[in-house]
Amino acid sequence: MPSDAVPSETPAETPREKRLHPLTLVFSTGAVARQMVFPAIVGGLSAGQGDVGRIVSVGVAVLALPALLAAVAKFWFFRYRLAGADLVLRSGLLSRKHRVIPLARVQNVEVRQGALQRLFRVAELRVETAGGSGQAEAVLSVLAAAEARGLRAEVAARRRAALPAAPSSETAPGAPEDGAAPSEIPTRSYAPPLVKLRTTDVLLAGATANEGGVIAAALAGGLQLADDLRLPWLERLGEPFGWLERAVGPGSAPLLALAVALGVVFLFVGWLFSIAGAVVRYHGYTLAREGGELRKRYGLLSVREGSVPLERVQALRVEESLLRRAVGLVTVKIETAGGAPGEGGGRGGAEAFVPIAHRGDLPRLVRGIFDDLDFDRISLRPVDPRSRRRAVRRYAVLVGTPALVFAAMALRAGEPGWLLALLPVLPLPWLLARWEYAHRGYALERGYVVARAGVLNRVTWIIPDVRLQTAHVTETPFQRRHGLASLVVDTAAGGKQAVVIDLGTARARALLEEVVARLHAARRARAPRRGVA
Amino acid sequence: MTTPAGAPPPPPDGELAPSRLDPRVVRVWRLGSAISTAAVTLAAALACALAEASLLWALLVLALGVAEGVLHPRAAYRAWSYTVGEEEVRLRRGVWWRRESVVPLSRIQHVDTQQGPVERALGLATLVLFTAGSVGARLAIPGLAAARAEALRDRLAALGGREDAV
Repeated sequence: MPSDAVPSETPAETPREKRLHPLTLVFSTGAVARQMVFPAIVGGLSAGQGDVGRIVSVGVAVLALPALLAAVAKFWFFRYRLAGADLVLRSGLLSRKHRVIPLARVQNVEVRQGALQRLFRVAELRVETAGGSGQAEAVLSVLAAAEARGLRAEVAARRRAALPAAPSSETAPGAPEDGAAPSEIPTRSYAPPLVKLRTTDVLLAGATANEGGVIAAALAGGLQLADDLRLPWLERLGEPFGWLERAVGPGSAPLLALAVALGVVFLFVGWLFSIAGAVVRYHGYTLAREGGELRKRYGLLSVREGSVPLERVQALRVEESLLRRAVGLVTVKIETAGGAPGEGGGRGGAEAFVPIAHRGDLPRLVRGIFDDLDFDRISLRPVDPRSRRRAVRRYAVLVGTPALVFAAMALRAGEPGWLLALLPVLPLPWLLARWEYAHRGYALERGYVVARAGVLNRVTWIIPDVRLQTAHVTETPFQRRHGLASLVVDTAAGGKQAVVIDLGTARARALLEEVVARLHAARRARAPRRGVA
Repeated sequence: MTTPAGAPPPPPDGELAPSRLDPRVVRVWRLGSAISTAAVTLAAALACALAEASLLWALLVLALGVAEGVLHPRAAYRAWSYTVGEEEVRLRRGVWWRRESVVPLSRIQHVDTQQGPVERALGLATLVLFTAGSVGARLAIPGLAAARAEALRDRLAALGGREDAV
């Protein structure tokens, strides 16, 4: 197996480098001009007003000139060529860039033509790989239209040649296993849908979504009740806070009260909106597994239907907020490549988001997506106990700072008695640290990596071995002091990634090797089945 | 067997020694630090003048910038190492915030080499690996000799562009 297989080309065979079409200059200066229109208008309007007008006009010119020069430079120094099985781009004057895109990696080739471009018979060619940076990896703007189309055909042809075993995987971004033959896609179907939400479920989803709103609702209700009952002791309760008024400044109490009240009102209204929004959006939510796909259907006013091929699922994220944990509910995000789930768009970021599900239904849902994973059998291992020490310090600062401020205010107002109110707060850092530690864990199941963390919002990641993209061990200076490190398991899913926080350094490094080894093993296990059309 | 000039020799069975960056990269970093220190000091001096505070604050900023420029590039150079193995590329870097990253060759989508004007003057380049990951979408190895960077770029692009050789 050649490890230094650099494609060699004799000088006579080296494909000629090409440049962009000269009309690029027109289009890019047009783009600059469009950006400058608004400031230019402002400049023009205020031109008659002496100094200000002059400054704005000069400002526009100053900004426009480098942009124009950059556009010219970009055209002048941009070169591209198809060399063997790669697309090679060179660009830049001051900062030179040389990019090699293996055609086997290309997911999508597109020719775009705006109306004006059509008039001048030029077009833009965009080449996308599964690269995580979100933009097309090669943008050739603009080429002669015929050249663009010819190039697209050529890229597609060479790509097919480079991947003999790949059946139409041009529309599967982020499926690193391009070439998965249809025979290996699991074809099981689950008769009753994996998830079917009733209206009460959807209402609960909306009600528990915004925790601030729930607290506010509770507070608002409580305050109203107190007001109705006019309990005398409640009023006496407010009296001691007169010192607060003395400490902060006279007349501030009504302002503070108003601020708090307004905050409560906003949160409450937000909560109501969240419930209504959930109903409109997720009414009748159904998620079913059919063959190799997950089909979902939801919505009240506008019904959405979509499907996610199982091959594109990068990971599962189970989220349990504190509130939802208390009532036995979870949220499941089915992470696909590109944008984060729940957002439209992104390259392949389909909306794959189960807004609410009962904890008891979770194992079945997980098995519906990952055939061989038994969610209930997963036993998580704890992270390093030294992380508790680190957490205590962190929470001590977090809790201690407002406590100190409070104490300072009390002392300044001459009410040392209030310091006693801080007593129950003292054990808090230790309790919070224990709590946080108890909620952290990880597991290396057969074929999957599981990571869990978070207290207020507990997140459990389930990542198939084969979906690992890159892996990292990171150490902050604080972690280093305690001999700890974090393991980051990177996938093609957008947004935050799975992190196992606060492992012992040696353990973190060992796990790093292990997840990478599992990736290699998983890919090798798949390979024999590949290529069977 | 000919290997392209500047390319790392194929690793012997098992043992893979990490490589260091080209020592000249320290100069690039020092220059960058000098420029940003100058800019920040200027801004601080302006702020001091406007706020009518003592210029000693700006001097403090200058001192800190100089200290960073003297100490940090060398430390960063010592912390940096990379290994191009049979199946993956490893990077180790960071003085305060340390990171070790593993990029399986099969995950590399495409490869760039980049040269700023200073790098070009010194004959250095930065190799950038792109993957489909998010955290690891873009991983850069700075301060490589230009020829070595190019050879690595072409080799990794060739290896990444194939299916897994099994």
